[in-house]
Amino acid sequence: MVRGYEVVIGLETHAELSTNSKIYCDCKNQFGLEVNSQVCPICMGMPGALPTLNETVVDYAIKMGHALNCNINRVCKQDRKNYFYPDLPKAYQISQAEVPLCENGYVDILVDGEERRIGITRIHIEEDAGKLLHSDKFDGCSLVDLNRCGVPLIEIVSEPDMRSSAEAKAYLETLKSILQYLDICDCKMQEGSIRCDVNVSVHKPGEPMGTRSEMKNVNSFSAAVRGIDFEVNRQIDILENGGTIDQETRRWDDVKGESVSMRSKEDAQDYRYFPEPDLLTIVVDKDRVNNLKAEIPELPNAKILRYVKEYNLPQKEATFIAESVELAKLFDDCLAKDKYPAKSYSVWLLGDLVKYLNETGKNLSDTMINADNLTELVGLIENKTISNAGGKKIFAVILKEAKDVNKLVDELGLAQVSDIGLLEKIANEVLAANEKSVNDFKNGKTNALGFLVGQCMKASKGKANPGMMKEIISKKLEEI
Amino acid sequence: MELFERNAYELSDMLKNKEISSVELTKSVFERINSVEDKVNAYVTLNEENALKTAEQIDEKRANGESLSALAGIPIGIKDNISTKGLRTTCSSRMLENYVPPFNATVMNKLEDAGVVVTGKLNMDEFAMGSSTETSYFKPTCNPHALDRIPGGSSGGSAAAVAACEAVVSLGSDTGGSIRQPASYCGVVGLKPTYGAVSRFGLVAFASSLDQIGPIGKCVKDVAMVQSAINGRDNMDATSACREYTDLSANLKADVKGLRIGLPKEYFGEGIDNEVKTSVLNAVKELEKQGAVVKEISLPSTDYALSAYYIISSAEASSNLARFDGVRYGYRTENYDSLIDMYEKTRSEGFGDEVKRRIMLGTFVLSSGFYDAYYGKAKLLQRRISEEFNSAFKDIDVIAAPTVPTTAFKIGENIGDPLKMYATDICTVTVNIAGLPAVSVPCGNDSNKLPVGLQLIGNKFTEQALLNTAYAYEKTAGGFIMPKL
Amino acid sequence: MNIDIKHIAKLSRLRIEDDKIQEFETQMQNIVNMVEKLPDIEDELVLDEDNPMILREDVAVTDKYTRQELMSNAPQVKAGCLVVPKTVE
Repeated sequence: MVRGYEVVIGLETHAELSTNSKIYCDCKNQFGLEVNSQVCPICMGMPGALPTLNETVVDYAIKMGHALNCNINRVCKQDRKNYFYPDLPKAYQISQAEVPLCENGYVDILVDGEERRIGITRIHIEEDAGKLLHSDKFDGCSLVDLNRCGVPLIEIVSEPDMRSSAEAKAYLETLKSILQYLDICDCKMQEGSIRCDVNVSVHKPGEPMGTRSEMKNVNSFSAAVRGIDFEVNRQIDILENGGTIDQETRRWDDVKGESVSMRSKEDAQDYRYFPEPDLLTIVVDKDRVNNLKAEIPELPNAKILRYVKEYNLPQKEATFIAESVELAKLFDDCLAKDKYPAKSYSVWLLGDLVKYLNETGKNLSDTMINADNLTELVGLIENKTISNAGGKKIFAVILKEAKDVNKLVDELGLAQVSDIGLLEKIANEVLAANEKSVNDFKNGKTNALGFLVGQCMKASKGKANPGMMKEIISKKLEEI
Repeated sequence: MELFERNAYELSDMLKNKEISSVELTKSVFERINSVEDKVNAYVTLNEENALKTAEQIDEKRANGESLSALAGIPIGIKDNISTKGLRTTCSSRMLENYVPPFNATVMNKLEDAGVVVTGKLNMDEFAMGSSTETSYFKPTCNPHALDRIPGGSSGGSAAAVAACEAVVSLGSDTGGSIRQPASYCGVVGLKPTYGAVSRFGLVAFASSLDQIGPIGKCVKDVAMVQSAINGRDNMDATSACREYTDLSANLKADVKGLRIGLPKEYFGEGIDNEVKTSVLNAVKELEKQGAVVKEISLPSTDYALSAYYIISSAEASSNLARFDGVRYGYRTENYDSLIDMYEKTRSEGFGDEVKRRIMLGTFVLSSGFYDAYYGKAKLLQRRISEEFNSAFKDIDVIAAPTVPTTAFKIGENIGDPLKMYATDICTVTVNIAGLPAVSVPCGNDSNKLPVGLQLIGNKFTEQALLNTAYAYEKTAGGFIMPKL
Repeated sequence: MNIDIKHIAKLSRLRIEDDKIQEFETQMQNIVNMVEKLPDIEDELVLDEDNPMILREDVAVTDKYTRQELMSNAPQVKAGCLVVPKTVE
């Protein structure tokens, strides 16, 4: 609820698929290369050139369909969406209209600890358009780079099931982590790998749904939040002032932080969809559909539930690990060894590891940490060979260097002294040298214990097992 | 007999036996072009220099004992909507007046591999939209048999060039009759192959679901030879059929014994000229004499085929021709003050009236609120027409009908009346709608000495049976008649 | 059925001169009248499952064409890009 209004949000999310070649030609599908260098007569829309459909695009879209619990239309077709624009060489986009590859699914998202189910209307395959370059230096012209033409896209259309910008953000983040888990999109937001159009309406509780506006050009998740919040308030302002909402297409300007009208319903484009005659029916074998389902890994939302339920991780920590493919894999690999409690790993992942990755901007794969050396390290701490502080020293090394953890214990002189005889000897010496503190303790100043243990640690040059040291000192003080 | 007058299969043997060289043959054809082209106007672009170069290379290869295809060294003309790398491809439109494709159509790659000599690019109705070659931006082509008459269209240049012996054989394209109808008017043989038999990659699209490239020649055997060279599955065309393609010319047999020929009554009704009807029925009688069994059949939805054809073809055309926007290639208007202004002026100046008419008709039938009533209905009718053919082919092997209701009309006679022009396609469009193969073979003349064509229609991928039937007729009663030029 | 030629022309990105509108309208009207004689068919089209499309293997091929070759037909080129009148952003 915002200012007494219910908010209704639906999202159309476009994700670029990370195939080798484009959707309808064998040009390389790669971002950031020299302008108009990844084009051919087909993606340039030369007269007489014809499309051929990339099979991996179909596979990837079906995988996403499975991940979002959709029905897979293994018999479907493609259609032409006709409109003129310089970034669209054929003046039509090959897309899917009536029969999408996947439809009627859902995805569960977590918002503030609550599970919410968002309906997925459909997922269809289509081609991306090129890019227009603008500059004051271009003498009133725009330049056209067609490299992106024909980059494969899936469009994921949600039901209008979201009720706040926070839910929209959680939905988008869930989609992103699923795309990453499936390894079908590189999810580089700054390169426009995921973009969305946002449909927003507001209404008073108990009243019918309001008129919706569609907002385009939303290129990041934070922009989605800002755009939705702006649009919700804009619509409420209009309604509060006795106005009515126009059904229109608006464009989000993230720099100015406002949406502006692009076109009203009256000049809505007439896309004149009709079946693409250059392509035949897509018929995917039943076995292929099933095999693709079998390839779907455990998805992040399922992982979160498992971490919380089986390992008692707090939801926030579980989410943090599960939403990163790399962290979750490391975590799961460690747990698979079934040696030490989950929390003895999660503290490292969420602590020193994330801190390092954030500070350096590196990926986990850039470090030398793996399930084997992390398990060894955790083991050394668990069996008290080294202290936590010693563990941190070793961790800092194995982040950067492929060194043997056990050798590092020696190299760094981190082995704890757990020999009772040796520890008792240190205790006797320290107690003898600090008679005043012993008396203080006897007189009820219990914090003298900490001082005495500290002195023992100092005397051992930090190598004494602190737990054992404390135990011995306590015992001896009782005996005196 | 001059070399240019001869059939491709004869020339192929003469080349193989080294009686002639390809250079001699090519020169002979260009001499013919030089002497009659200003009367016929079949070509948009001539390719003489490259043609002679290719001919020399082929002769050299032959001298070196390399094994060559049957078409090696044969001069062939190409309709100007088939992309030829490095050779201007205009579609007879101002829009593409200076367009030089950076790639070859698949059929051109195949023909180049076969070693043919490309004489040049042949005139056509603009973007293949028309039935007379009068909508060409450059010039109308004349019928070699009567220079004041149209050669038919849209492959008018392809048919006229072969009839005038300005090319030994040629390639055309057929969306609603554009190979068969001009072949009929010009007294030559034209084959519209089964949809999917010949790759469309590189054919500038008019109506993607109906377009097919096919050969035109002076005789059935030539047509069979060229068809065998260009057909086959192409991975660049998703609509091309994956199947085995046999050698049509090697398997050609003049044998119709027991062949069941159907005569659809709807193709002999009102609007069909009596002389045309008589010629066609005489041809069928000749086949009957040779052992074919003839029976009357009915294809009741034929009456609606023309409407369905104009809806489907125009809808697809409106989308296919949207890419001509003055951005990546082709004509761009001189002065404009905005993007939309540039688009509208470019397209209005670059396209002729017939093209505009079809684009607008196609836009209309696809537009919001009209789709179901027009395009949707036409697609349903298309299926019904296919079903009627399917059931007919349970009892017969080949359908015989006129190719065109009349013989060639005078230049300018119908150009102002689109409906009258469209009506000339009435016997041919059903074949495209159903994706079937059909051949038009000359079957005599009317009283004005204008050629009449017999159209033979077969079930999908029965090109061999069609060509055999045409061959049987041609051998005994038909054949090419040299026009007096 | 009245056809709004101006609207259709706009959708088609064509500009029809005023003195030609009437002619186009009449011709289009005649064509549409012919086309309207189509019978109603109470049925639906189903997808042709028996004629499935062969899909392309996902292999990228580079250096098939130079940019120069592909742009050689373009009316206006600048800095390796096609040039169009400024699009409203």
